[in-house]
Amino acid sequence: MLMTLIRRELLDNLMTFRFAAAVFITLLLVVANTVVLLKDYEQRLTAYNTATQESYQKLREERVYSRYAMDLIVHRPPNPLSIFNLGLDKQVGNEIAVYHAFVPTIWDAVKHGADNPFLNLFTSIDIVLVFQGVLSLLALIFAYDALAGERERGTLRLVLTHPIQRGHILLAKYISAMLCLLVPLLISLLLSIILLTTSTTISLHADDFLRIGGIVLTSLLYVSLFYLIGLCISAMTRRTSTALMLCMFVWGVLVLVYPNLILTAVDIVPQPNTQISAYHQIKQMWEELNREKKLFLRNDTVLGPLSRNGEDWGFRLKGGEYSFLRDEDKPSTLLYFYQSGFYAGKIKAESEPHVPLVQNYYGFHNREIVSTVNRTWLVRKPALEAIYVQPANLGQMLLKFSPVGLYDAATEAWAGTDLEGIQDFFSTVQRYRRAVVDYFYDKKIFESRQWFAADEGTADWDALPQFAFHRSDTDINAKRALPDMLLLLTMNVILFTVIMLIFIKSEV
Amino acid sequence: MWHITKREIYDNLNSLRFALTTVLLLALMLTNAIVHLREHPNRVEKYNKAVTAYQNRLASYANESLYLLAQQGPGDLHKKPSPLHFCAEGGDSFLSGTVNAGDPFGYSEDMTGVWKLSYPSVTPNLENVRPDAIKLDWGFIIGYVLSLVALLFTFDIISGERERGTLRLMLANAIPRHTVLIGKFLGALISVSIPFMLSVLMNLLVISTASNLHLNAEAWGRLGIIFFISILYMSLFLVLGLLVSTRVRQSAVSLVVLLLVWVTLVVFMPNTLASMTGEFSPSMLSGEFWKRYRQLHQELDEKYEDRVWTDESDTKTLTARSEYFAKHAALDERLNEDRLSLQIDQFRHARSIIRVSPVTIVQHLLESFAGTGFERHLQFVENTQRYALQFREFIVDADRADPESLHLIGVREGMSEKPVSPKSVPKFEDTLNLNEDFNTTAMELLLLVLFVMVLMSAAYLAFVRVEV
Repeated sequence: MLMTLIRRELLDNLMTFRFAAAVFITLLLVVANTVVLLKDYEQRLTAYNTATQESYQKLREERVYSRYAMDLIVHRPPNPLSIFNLGLDKQVGNEIAVYHAFVPTIWDAVKHGADNPFLNLFTSIDIVLVFQGVLSLLALIFAYDALAGERERGTLRLVLTHPIQRGHILLAKYISAMLCLLVPLLISLLLSIILLTTSTTISLHADDFLRIGGIVLTSLLYVSLFYLIGLCISAMTRRTSTALMLCMFVWGVLVLVYPNLILTAVDIVPQPNTQISAYHQIKQMWEELNREKKLFLRNDTVLGPLSRNGEDWGFRLKGGEYSFLRDEDKPSTLLYFYQSGFYAGKIKAESEPHVPLVQNYYGFHNREIVSTVNRTWLVRKPALEAIYVQPANLGQMLLKFSPVGLYDAATEAWAGTDLEGIQDFFSTVQRYRRAVVDYFYDKKIFESRQWFAADEGTADWDALPQFAFHRSDTDINAKRALPDMLLLLTMNVILFTVIMLIFIKSEV
Repeated sequence: MWHITKREIYDNLNSLRFALTTVLLLALMLTNAIVHLREHPNRVEKYNKAVTAYQNRLASYANESLYLLAQQGPGDLHKKPSPLHFCAEGGDSFLSGTVNAGDPFGYSEDMTGVWKLSYPSVTPNLENVRPDAIKLDWGFIIGYVLSLVALLFTFDIISGERERGTLRLMLANAIPRHTVLIGKFLGALISVSIPFMLSVLMNLLVISTASNLHLNAEAWGRLGIIFFISILYMSLFLVLGLLVSTRVRQSAVSLVVLLLVWVTLVVFMPNTLASMTGEFSPSMLSGEFWKRYRQLHQELDEKYEDRVWTDESDTKTLTARSEYFAKHAALDERLNEDRLSLQIDQFRHARSIIRVSPVTIVQHLLESFAGTGFERHLQFVENTQRYALQFREFIVDADRADPESLHLIGVREGMSEKPVSPKSVPKFEDTLNLNEDFNTTAMELLLLVLFVMVLMSAAYLAFVRVEV
C-alpha cells in the first residue's frame, strides 16, 4: 500500500511545471557559478604557485641567516573544495612570514595576488549558497499543498476512507517529495563535479569525494528540514493560498532576514576592552627586552662597550655594509616587535677580535627574543581570541537558530574552509616556526658568524626544515561537521513528529 | 476604476499577508534605526576628531614656516560620514575613509621632498573572521524584502480572480480592460505602500528624535528622492507580478514562476555576473605596479643625480633640487592615480554589467542619494584632488608675496621661511553635491523607469488579449 501511495505522489510531483522549473533553475545557477568559481580557483592557484616560487628564490639569494626575517615566507594554498563553500578561504590572508620574533596567526597574514580592493564590494557566491536559496525554496514549493491541497480538493477524505494508517500517508508524501528534490540536487552536483574533474588544474583526492559526500548528506538534511517546515504549515492551514503565503514569509525570514538581522544586531554589542591593555602589556615586555639589550651592549668590558648608544647596528665592526630593520607595530592585531640586524660582506682583520663578542651578543639576544615572544604569546593569544574569535563564534552561534546557519556551518566544516580549517594552516605554520627556531638552536646558528657575516661560509637554506601543509583528515572534518548535522537531524525528527501529531488529530 | 482599487485595498487590508508584511517591515526598519542610533554618533565623533587633528597639524606647520607647509602638505584628508548612512551602507567599510596628502620622501633633513597624494586602500576582511552578512540598511529592506512582498501581493491578482470566476463577472460589466488593470495595480500599490510607509515613518521618527543626529533640509530632500525611487522599484515588481499573474492560469504556478524569477534576478544574477566580469577583465597587479614604479623612479633619479646630490647650495643646485622634488612628487602622484583609475575602471566595468538586475540599480541609486558607496567615494577623491591643486596654488602665491624668497618650492634655502597665518591656509571640506548625484545616476534612474514602462506595456498587452 505504501508503495502505491509513493508511486502516486511521485507521478503527481514529477509531471508538474514546478518540478521542471526547479530542475532548470538549479542546473542553470549551479553550472554558471561552478564555471565562475573554477576560474577563480585557477587564478588563486596560479597566484599561489608564483608567490611560492618567488619566495623560494628570494630566500636563496640571501647570504646571511639573519636576513631570513624578510624572506622566509610561507603561503596557504587555495582549498579546491572552496568551490562548494567559500567560507573564509578567499577572505583571510594567505601569505605569512616565519620569524622568531612573533608567533604567526591569521591576523598577521597578508594576501598575495589580490590587487583591486574595490572588488571586495561584490559578495562571492558558491554552490552551497545556491542550494541554500533555491533548494529551500523548492522544498517549500513542493510542500505547501501536500496536505492543504488534498484537503481542498477533497481527495484526502477519499484516501482516508481506505484502511491506511495516516502515518503511512505522511511517509509516502515525504519519501516521494524527497526523491523529487534529490533529482535537481544530484544532477547539478554531478554536472559541477564533471566540470571539476575535467579541469586540469584542480586535483581531487579520494578524501575529497568523501567530503563532497558529506556536503551532499548535509544538503539532504537541510532540504528535508525545509520540506517538513512546509508540510507542517500545510497541515495546519485549511487553504493552499494561505499555506503558500505563510511558506514564503517563513522562507523570507529564515533565509533572507534573520541571518542578516542577527549579524547586524551583533555588531552593536560593545566589544571587550582587552585590546588596549593587552597591547600595552606586550609593548612593555618588548621595552624591557630593549633595556636589557642596551645594558648588555654597554656593559661589555673585555674590549670596551660594543656600542656606545646601546643600538645594535654596525657595532664597531669594519666591513659592515648595511643595516636593516624588521619591525611591526599594529595595535589592532596586538602585534609588536622590533629587531635590527646588519650585513657584513667582509670583516676587516682589525675588527676580528670583536667578532666573537658580536656572536655572543646575538646568541644572547635571540634567546631573549624567543623567550619574550613566548611570554607575549601568553597575553596575545587570549586577547586575540577575545577580540576576533569570540564575536565570530557568537555570530555563528546565533545564526544557528536558522537552518541556514546550521547548513552553512556544517558544509564549511566538511569543505575545511571554516575558521578551524583555516586555523589548521596557521597552527602548522606555528609548528614550523618552532621547528626553525629549534634548528637554529641545534646548529647554534643564532650565535654563528653566518648570522651577520658572509665571509666565512654563507647560509645554507636547503638544510632548513621544509614547510609542508596538508589539509586535515576526513574524520576531523566529519567530527567538526557532526554537531551541526545532528542538530539538523534532530530538528527533522522533531518536526516530523509534530506534523504526525497534527495530522492524526486533525479532522478532514 | 476607483471602485476596483478600493475593493482591492479592502481585500488586502484584512489578509494575513498584510499583517505579516507590516510586522516584518516594522521589525526591520526599527532594527535599522536602532543600529544607526548606536553607530552613527561614533562615526561622527571619529570624523570630528580626525578633522581636528588635521587642522591642528596644519596650524602648527603654518605657525612654523611656509617651507614646512609646502614640504609636509595638508596630511590626511577625511571623508565626511553621511547622515543618511542608514539608507545605504554601500560597502563603506571596504572604501577607505581617507586620502593621504603628505608623506614626503626623504633621505635626510635637508633632502626631503614635497608631499603627494596617495590613496590608501582598506582590507577589513583580512582580519575579520566573522560570518558574512548583508548590512541591514534600507537598500536591503527595499531591494530584497520589499520586492518579495510586492510579488506576494500580486501573484494572484488576476489569476486568483480567474480561479474564483470573479474576473469573468467583472469584465461582463462595461469597464474597459485597461481600467481594470490600472485599478488593480493602484490597489496593490497602495496596499503595499501602507506598511512600507508606516515602517519608514517609524524609522525616521526614531532617528529624528535622537538629539545628536540632525537631518538638515537637504537630507530630507534626499530622503524624499529615495522614497520616490523605492516606490518606483516596488511598482516594477508589482507590474511583474501583474504580468505573470495574467499569463498563468493557476495562482500557485504564478507564484512559483515569480519566485524563481525573483531568486535569479535579485539574489544570484548580481553576484554571479559581478564575479564573472570582475575575474575576467584585466587589471594591474601590484607586482607590475612596483616594477614600473622602480623603473620610472630610476630614470628620474639618473637624470638629476649629478645636479642634486652636491654639497653646494648655489642657485643652480637649489633650482635643480626644487625641480627634482616637484617631479618626484608628481611622478608618485601620477602612478598612484593611474593605479587607482585602473582599479576604478575594472570595478565600473563589473558594475555596469550587473545593471541588468533591478536590485543593483536600486541599490546604486540609494547609495548615490544617501551619499555613501562607490560614487560618493569617487566624489570624495575628486574633492581631494581639487583641494590639492588649491593648496599648491596657495603655497606658490604665499611664497610670491615674500620678497626675500627665491621662489623655489620645496627647498629650505629657496623658499619663504616665514610663518603664515593658519586662517589663510585653505582647509579641506568634504561636500556632497546633489546635482552631481543626479548626473551620475541619471542613467540608472532612466533604466529603472524603462524597466517599469516595458513591463507595464507587456502586462497591458497580455491582459487585453487574455481570454477569460
